[in-house]
Amino acid sequence: MHVRRPAPTGVHRVSSRKPRLSAGAVYVLLMAVAVLFVGPFVWLVLAALKTRDEWASVPTHILPRQAQWENFTHALTDINFPAYAVNSLFLSTMYAVLVTASSAVVGFGFARLRGSGKRGLFLVLLSTMMLPQILTLLPTYVLFSRLGLVNTYWPWVLWGVASSPYLIFLFRQFFAAIPSELEDAAIIDGCGWGRIFVRIFLPLSRPVLLTSFLLSFVWTWGDYIAPALLLDVDHTTLSVAITAWYRDPHGNAIPTVQAAAAALYVLPALLIFLFAQRYFIRSIVSSGVKG
Amino acid sequence: MARNSWTRYSNRTFYLFVSPWVLGFLLLTAVPLGYAFGVSLTNFDGSSPRWRWVGFRNYVELFGDAEAWHAMLRTVAYAAIAVPLSVAGALGLAVLLNRRLIAVGLWRTIFFLPSVVPVVAMAIMWKLVLNRDAGIANAILHVVGIKPIAWLVDPMAFYALIVLTLWGLGGGMVIMLAALQGVPTELEEAAVVDGANRWRVFRHITVPMISPVIFFQVVTGVIATLQIVVQPLLLAETNSISGVGQVPQSTHLYMVQVYQEFFTSNRFGYGSAMLWVYFLVILAFTLLIQRSSRSWVHYQVDTDSDR
Repeated sequence: MHVRRPAPTGVHRVSSRKPRLSAGAVYVLLMAVAVLFVGPFVWLVLAALKTRDEWASVPTHILPRQAQWENFTHALTDINFPAYAVNSLFLSTMYAVLVTASSAVVGFGFARLRGSGKRGLFLVLLSTMMLPQILTLLPTYVLFSRLGLVNTYWPWVLWGVASSPYLIFLFRQFFAAIPSELEDAAIIDGCGWGRIFVRIFLPLSRPVLLTSFLLSFVWTWGDYIAPALLLDVDHTTLSVAITAWYRDPHGNAIPTVQAAAAALYVLPALLIFLFAQRYFIRSIVSSGVKG
Repeated sequence: MARNSWTRYSNRTFYLFVSPWVLGFLLLTAVPLGYAFGVSLTNFDGSSPRWRWVGFRNYVELFGDAEAWHAMLRTVAYAAIAVPLSVAGALGLAVLLNRRLIAVGLWRTIFFLPSVVPVVAMAIMWKLVLNRDAGIANAILHVVGIKPIAWLVDPMAFYALIVLTLWGLGGGMVIMLAALQGVPTELEEAAVVDGANRWRVFRHITVPMISPVIFFQVVTGVIATLQIVVQPLLLAETNSISGVGQVPQSTHLYMVQVYQEFFTSNRFGYGSAMLWVYFLVILAFTLLIQRSSRSWVHYQVDTDSDR
């Protein structure tokens, strides 16, 4: 491209003459939006530290007079919080491991192997990304209950092994970008595709494996509808447990204790996100921009 | 080694590698959908073995079901408001962050954070914020002299749901930001040199350059809003699947109606018919929007390969 380059001062004058947001206005705007985005977190923690009367008092008290840490004790003991946390942890870890492994395998197939009908299959894969999962969940629930899979963790095993179109896409993008010299050498040495995948491609894909694991872990940790449908009181996860079961003897919800429980529940997801933010951003960007 | 006995790529290897997904798709997506179609032709109630075929009677009934129509229109209205707002909001924030700022990473984290909050925690947080008597929203409005608003019941629950959706727009913002950073600065600078103001640069260069990403955001946004069911359930007063009856009218979206047919009325056949109609509607929508995209989405890659 050949562009006439005027003197730098001229460019500067052109842009500064036009009305534009000053730096100060930008920060004020950002602050205002940030308050809206952070506010609910702060309000949750404040509610978790109030007495029930303080919470309900009119006019509203912003700050608790004295931090009520026993709300957290109640959150942990009023229902069997640790047991549900273990259920959530187990289910999320198991699903994340399975779905990461299976999606890596399938992603490798779509990225590096050839077969008849591959194009068509990949189109089907892409269109299932557009298919709302809620549509299949209800009939799946009916089928699973007839097969006796309700109140077991088998549905998550099946969903894990079945791999996820979104993660397959993530792996495919990554594997497709790897130059073929490595596998050429391995093929000449007589390596099969299974060994090429395990020995060469998997070790290279550690960041994607981690991204996939964290993403799928957080999905399952946050999922509500599947455990609510498929699991009973003993097997269910934290997300279902904290929703409904913090009640006083009259059956009314106890907002302060529920707030404490929600804070404890959301903490792992937030920590994972904060420590691995770049992995989340990378995955979301590679699916949204290139896709 | 004979030339014919060695092939680098065999069909068997490919299908072996992709078999988890192929089998998973058949057994966990195609079979349930097919099963739902079968059930939609019956009067199955979810448990009793005494069901019979009713043909397309469920579909005929659905066509004249005023409640289902209302739920459908409400869902469309909700998507028509929530999707443009969240796409525009995501783009707006991305534009703000796509300049030299102090602590860009911190701002990005703040706006991105809510989008990873599990839906259950999100609902609990917003119920606390929007609580009529004790919530901070009404406390702030009180300072300005506005009387307490009942956010979580009709008719405001609809807007509360939109607020909840907008709060999670950070994922879209991150995608928009990456897209903006991919726009070559020479193009924008050249336009400025030619005397275009910032808005015209944005409108005629930046937006067309990132239009595939905007398009992708709109499509995924619509699909996501069409399947919303958990948020209305959790924002309702008694929040559980069995409490589906307590969902306010204004957030009684199509999928909520489906749940009600399944779990309150035990009409599995009718609910399955509703699912299938919805499936076809979404399919038609996706095809339609793909077609319309050709007129306004600017794909740089396509024009390059045409040459």
